[in-house]
Parts: sequence; C-alpha cells; structure tokens
Amino acid sequence: MPSFAGVVLAGGRSSRMGTPKAALEWHGSTLLRRTTGILGRVTGGRVVVVRAAGQPLPELPGSVTVVDDPREGRGPVQGIAAGLAALRGEADIAFITSTDMPFLHPAFVRRVLRTLEEDEATDVALPFARGYRQPLAAAYRVTLAEAAERLVKEDRLKPAFLFEQCAVAQLDDDALLSDPVLDALDPDLDSVVNVNTPEDYDAARTRRAPRISVQLFGTVAKSAAKAGGLDGPGSPFAVRAATVGEAAGAIGLVFDRHVTAALNGDQITRDPEVPLAAGDTLFFLSADAGG
Amino acid sequence: MPPGGYFGRALVVDAADGTSQTLEIGEPVLRAYLGGAGLGTWLLHRLGPPGADPLGPDAVLAFTFSPLVGTPLTTSAKFAVVAKSPLTGMLTDALASSQFAISGKLTGHDAIAIRGRAPRLSTLIIDGPATRIADATHLAGRTAAETDAAVREELGRGWRVAAIGPAGERGPSGEPGVRYATISHDGRHAGRGGLGTVMGAKNLKAVAVRASARVATADPAGVLRAARDLRERSFGPATEKYRELGTLANLLTFNAISTLPTRNFQASSFEGAPDLAEQPAEPEAEAGSEPGEIAGMRKVARSGCASCTIGCEHIYRVGRGKKARVEYENVFALGPMCGVSDPGAVLAASARCDDLGIDTISAGGTIAWAMECAQRGLIDAPWLRFGDAGALLRVLDEIGDRATELGILLGNGSRAAAETVGSGSGSFAPHVKGLEMPGYEPRTLHSMALGLAVNARGADHNRSGAYEADLSGDLDRFDGGDRHVAAAIETEDRAAVMDSMILCKFLRGVFTDPFAEWASLVSDVTGWDMTGDELRETAGNIVMAKRAYNDREGWRPADDWLPDRLLNEPVTLPSGRVAALTAERLRAMIGAYYKARGLNTEGRPDPAIYKRLLLD
Repeated sequence: MPSFAGVVLAGGRSSRMGTPKAALEWHGSTLLRRTTGILGRVTGGRVVVVRAAGQPLPELPGSVTVVDDPREGRGPVQGIAAGLAALRGEADIAFITSTDMPFLHPAFVRRVLRTLEEDEATDVALPFARGYRQPLAAAYRVTLAEAAERLVKEDRLKPAFLFEQCAVAQLDDDALLSDPVLDALDPDLDSVVNVNTPEDYDAARTRRAPRISVQLFGTVAKSAAKAGGLDGPGSPFAVRAATVGEAAGAIGLVFDRHVTAALNGDQITRDPEVPLAAGDTLFFLSADAGG
Repeated sequence: MPPGGYFGRALVVDAADGTSQTLEIGEPVLRAYLGGAGLGTWLLHRLGPPGADPLGPDAVLAFTFSPLVGTPLTTSAKFAVVAKSPLTGMLTDALASSQFAISGKLTGHDAIAIRGRAPRLSTLIIDGPATRIADATHLAGRTAAETDAAVREELGRGWRVAAIGPAGERGPSGEPGVRYATISHDGRHAGRGGLGTVMGAKNLKAVAVRASARVATADPAGVLRAARDLRERSFGPATEKYRELGTLANLLTFNAISTLPTRNFQASSFEGAPDLAEQPAEPEAEAGSEPGEIAGMRKVARSGCASCTIGCEHIYRVGRGKKARVEYENVFALGPMCGVSDPGAVLAASARCDDLGIDTISAGGTIAWAMECAQRGLIDAPWLRFGDAGALLRVLDEIGDRATELGILLGNGSRAAAETVGSGSGSFAPHVKGLEMPGYEPRTLHSMALGLAVNARGADHNRSGAYEADLSGDLDRFDGGDRHVAAAIETEDRAAVMDSMILCKFLRGVFTDPFAEWASLVSDVTGWDMTGDELRETAGNIVMAKRAYNDREGWRPADDWLPDRLLNEPVTLPSGRVAALTAERLRAMIGAYYKARGLNTEGRPDPAIYKRLLLD
C-alpha cells in the first residue's frame, strides 16, 4: 500500500488579501492550522508546510514539518517541487494544497488520493471542480519532485508544464462525487473554494460552521448534564463547530485538563484547534479514562 | 528498625504443622522495598527455592503489609499477596483492600510467609505470634464468603479471614485447583495469577488473623495532617469517575475509541456495549439519556474498602436477592471478550466467578479463546459460541466442577490449554507470560502494548498503567516510539511504589508531584528522611527485583512479547484508519525499554544488580 503525505504551500505574497493568508483567523484557529489538520487526518499525520524563507507562521502542531522554499516567488511549481523534495523517502503520494481553502474536506482529499492509490500508472490526480482545474487541490507522486525541480530551473513555472510530462487523471465533478461519502458531506465541492480577497474571506466567515455530532462519556457527560448544556447526555447530538474548542463551547463544556476529545474515535487530543468537518463525530472523554 | 511503620520481622509459617519462626528484616531491606509488592518480591527471592513448583510444598505464599497500613491515610488498608504463579511460572503479586490488611499487620509482622502443605484442608490461624492449623475439611466446596463467615463464627470476635473458593481447592486425587483461583476477603479479591491455587495447593482453605500489637508512626501529628489533606483531595475531580460512576464507565468510552477487546481480540469495539454500559445515575438519566440495560439492574448501593474515602464500589442487583460488585474488567472479560451482551448473564457469570473464587479476567480470556477454538473446530464443543450467554454460564460451571475434559482444560488457563490443543491455537491465546489480557486493545494503545509485553506479572493493567499516556492526548496512540517507552516506564515505576507503600491507584490523580508527595508520606510514618528521588530509584529497583526473580525462574526473552494475533492482524477503526502493531515496532520499543532500564539486549539484569537490590 502506498504511503500518503500532505503538503501545504503557505508562501506567496497574499497581495490581494493584504495580509498573510496562513495566519488568518478561522473559528478560533488559523487557516494554516486548519489545513494542516485536515490533511493530517487523512495522511496519518505526515504533513509538510512549504513557506518562504523566514516567513512567520502561526503555531502548528509539533508533528508538522516546515520547510523553506529555496526560491521564493517562483509560483506553484516551485512550491510543488519543494514539497515533494521534502517527502523523498518519506511517502509515495502527496496531496498538495494551498493554505486558503477553508472548506477542504477530508473526504475530498481521500477521494483524490485514491485515484493514485488505485492506478499505479497515473502520476497526478487533478480535480476539475467547479469549472476550474485545481492543481493546488491535487495528488502527486513524490517521484515527480525531480521533474518539477527541472522545470523550475528551466523557468517553466506553470503546473501545465508539469502535467505535460506525466500521466494525469483529471477528475471532474461527477467523478469526484461518485464517492458517496464526498457526495454526502460536500455535495457542492466547497472543498476547492479559496479565499483570495478580504471580501472572499468575509463571505467565507459568514457561512455556518460544519454540522457535527457530539457524544459525551463518563464524568464529562455527567458534568455537562449538570451544567444544563445538552439535551441528551449519553446519546449523539448535533452541533455546528469548526474546531474541537468551538464544539466544546457550543455545549458549555470547559475543555480543560480533565477533558480530552477523540475525533471519529481516532486520535485523542487536548488541542482545541483540531479542525472539524461536516459529518464528523466528536467524543468528549474524561482525561482519566482507564482503570 | 525505623521509628515507625514497621515491626522489622516476618512470620514464616510451615503449613505442614502450623509451626512458625520469625525472620528479622533489617532496615535497609525495608527502606529498599517498602512493603507490599516490593517486600513480597524480596521475600520470594529470600525464601523461595529457585525452580520450585509453584504448587509444591516448597513454594512460598507471602501476605505482605506496608508501612502505611493502619494509619488514617485514606486507601492505605491494603495488603499484597505474592507468590510464584501457577499460570506464568513467574512472580505474581495481587493486592486487596480490607480489614485483613490491618489485622494481619497488627499480628506484629510486616509479612506472613507460608511454606509447606497441610495434611488436609485446613485453616491457618495466626493470633499475634502464635500460629496453628485447624481442620477445615467441613468447609470444602464453600465459597470464600461462606468460609470467611464460618471461620469467624468458629473463632469468635476480632478475627479477619482471607479464604479461597472451591475452585482453588485441590481435587479428590490431590490435583491442583483451577490455575487462576483467587484469595478473597470481605468481597475483595487478590485476583490475578492464581494465588488462590497456590494457597489451595497448600491445603489451606483460609488464613485467619487477629491483631495483638500496635505499631507507631514517627510523626503522628504529621501523619494526621497528611491524612486530612489526602482525605479532602480524595473528594475532588481526580476521583470523581470512581466515586460517581465506577470503572464500568470505561466500557462505552473504550468502545467509542476502539479499545474494547471483543470476541477474543477479533475486533476492538462491540456492538453490544451499550447494553452493558452504565450511564450517569438518576436524576440526570431522566433528562433524556439512554442508559444501557445494565442500568435497569442498577446499583443498589455504593460502598468502599476499609479506610477509604473514595467509595468506588458500585453494587448491582443480579437477581434472586443476590448482589454483585461490578467493575469494567469483569464486564469486559465476560461480556465483549466473549461476545455476550446480555447484562443479566454477564453479571451472573461475574457472580459465579466470585462464588467459585476465580479471576474474572483469566476466566473470560480463556473462555473467549475456547469459543474461537470451537468456532474453528479445534475443540469438540459446538455449543460454545461467541455471544451465547447460556454457553458462558455452562462453561464456567464446567471449569468450576473440573469434572469434564473441557472444564479441566480451561481451568489451566489459555496458554496451557493452547499447548494441549495445538493446531496454531496459541497464536490467538490472549495472554502474556500465561496471564490473560485485560481490557485494553494494544493495537490502538501502543504505550500499553509495551507495558503489557514487558511487565513481570504478565498481561496486566495494574502493574503497567501505560494506557494513561495513550489516552492522555499527549502522544499518538497509534505510533509507538520513544515517548511511549518513557511513558510505560513512568507508569510502571509509579505502580511499583503505590503497590509497595501501599496506596490505592484510584488515588493517583490527586498527586501533582507524586514521588515527592509519596516520599513525604512515607517519611512521616517511618521517620526516614526520604526524598522523591530516592523513591523513584526505589521504584526502579522494585521493578528490577521482579524481573530478576523471573530471570532466576526461567524467564526467556520470548516471554516479553504479545500474542501473534495482535502483531499480524490489524484492526480497522470506524474512521477508516487501519491500526496495526507490528512485530518490528514492538521489538523496537522493547529494545528501548531494556536500554532505559539498564538491562542487557536480551532483557536480563546485570548480575551486579543483585548486590544493589540486597539479593546476594
């Protein structure tokens, strides 16, 4: 089975936004933190952030690797080359994205990665979603690092030049939505909506947070019930929240050292900035679970 | 002798005739091993002949007390029972809480070590320094609780009795009892490793003790202050789970995070868990919760051990006027592990184990293995199916009766049974070193995987609480590495001290600087000027002394390992993650553990350590 990783291109001037996009606030977290978290969920934690040399970044989990782009301002192929180069020997396939897609859903990432997983002859899985090719929401074989580096040296900086040199599977809306999970959780393919201007950002922020399911266990359920923050302790109930901390707040739960969270029954975390996506189930547990 | 906390001697009794002698224990040994599990380990080194049959007359069965027992410190009324296990052939130490601990110590001894074998089923009577054996053949077949009551009635007021149930007794031809029999007092059990079998092999149905001495504390005012402080802290959030919900609260939590071993580790979550689960008690439950069916059988009382302010015991009605204490581990082992979701059957099975006097975890694990063998056609018991509540109760009766081939086979535990059945059944026998696994899924808890593999007692959650790190959110529970190794060592060290001084582990969350705070408690009682650093070193030494004992008794590197199933069969989580624990990863963690513990690459202690451990 091939191994996956995520790459987030956090460089770029953010000139239209007027402020670094990576650090933009997002439901108590940041856009970059969200993007790395979404990718990490799919890739088992392997995520590389490519930044301009010395570029300040918002706080990230220790598991995220940050690499400096040796040639800043050369466009996406340069970022792709730097990200893939950082993954040589570490992973087989990388989902590469930018930091400005706040609605990127793990099911979208999985769907795209699966194309390369299932077809060894394909080098790039390239979504053609919402009317546009999405080279920065696409999957690449790590072995393309050399080709990308060569193009940069040749000053051929558009992704199209890279695609000319490898086998590309283009995924249109129908192909993407043939995945029933993605169809159910992101039917409009909002995953590829990006924010380039303050107006984009404001519009994105007015959207409601994703609908998730919360379930409480042990003394956490008991405490929350006492506080009157829920309708039904012990059984799932729905809230809207984009982060673990926001979900805790939505039910009046103090997310302190006595509480942990398990996302979809998977990793256990104390980090309130762990991003949530539509369809997630979040368990709040007593931090002292166990005998 | 330190100014407080100890008598400086052990009583060594020969069960053959009830005679006894005193073994002086010097202050260096007491300071190095504290008491409880630690002192018991030293006694086994000192008194147990190397290579002795754990069920033979030469074997040593040690009841060990601690410096804190008898003080007003909450949860301190505990004792340890230590012996060479008939399940593992290595050291086993189990703790129980009750007045037996106080009375046993106040016979004037820091430990009572029993050797020899009584000529017939007997009660060992220890009245201060005086010892004798009395005929107990009329108690044959009685439960531990019945035996306790009968012996107390015979002896009169002031006696405390630890007893075995019928499963621990030798058979009519002298054959040993079920190899995972328990020793019980007042409904509490020294449960793991077959200590009741060892006692039964000595033809001892009961040990009765009566206090006749007093023991001083070095700083009575300091101890009282510490006791008040600890008592207050024991009412706080760190013990809320145990107080309000009991350990059964783990069941739904573990199910949700794929940590609930199911059908002999064929799955890590159980669709029947909600039926077995407890939910917050009324009136919250009326606010819309959906309590599991077990809640319909509900608690009829909450109680606690002697000298305990936590009160973790949640007593349930199990029908026909019977009540049972329900814990996560017995519900796990007899429920999900066997695929049984009928709460009435699980509680009845748990009560049956108590009546027989057998360890619920080993019973459930061995039965689950047998169910899988039956499923695969490896044993001729087609009725023994996962999920069949009637089959669960029937097979428990067969184990207790020891009258059928199947009952005798399963009474030996899963490792020995798999050696008999063969056909690859050992690869899914759920044990480490012969001790059946508790309810923690190693494939989704990598720190715990290491803790289970290397622990001296075998698969055990009380001597290695490494699951705490996995569940803390501070590390990746699916990606075991150096941090997981450090966590496993830390929790093993903490357990070594708590089991030796002794305080209940349910209290562990109230300490913010555990080793320093524990050193202060021990110092108040004994008069020693003990530091947290010294106590930390003591912890490591106790862990090493256990390992040295096992090494002496034939431990092999392959014993520090997990069942093949857990290394070769990944589990898929509802999130889609495939959780695996490979042999390569486990080997790497074990290697790092050996290095950090100062062991050689095979996992053996340096012979020079014997001098430091006062074992030469």
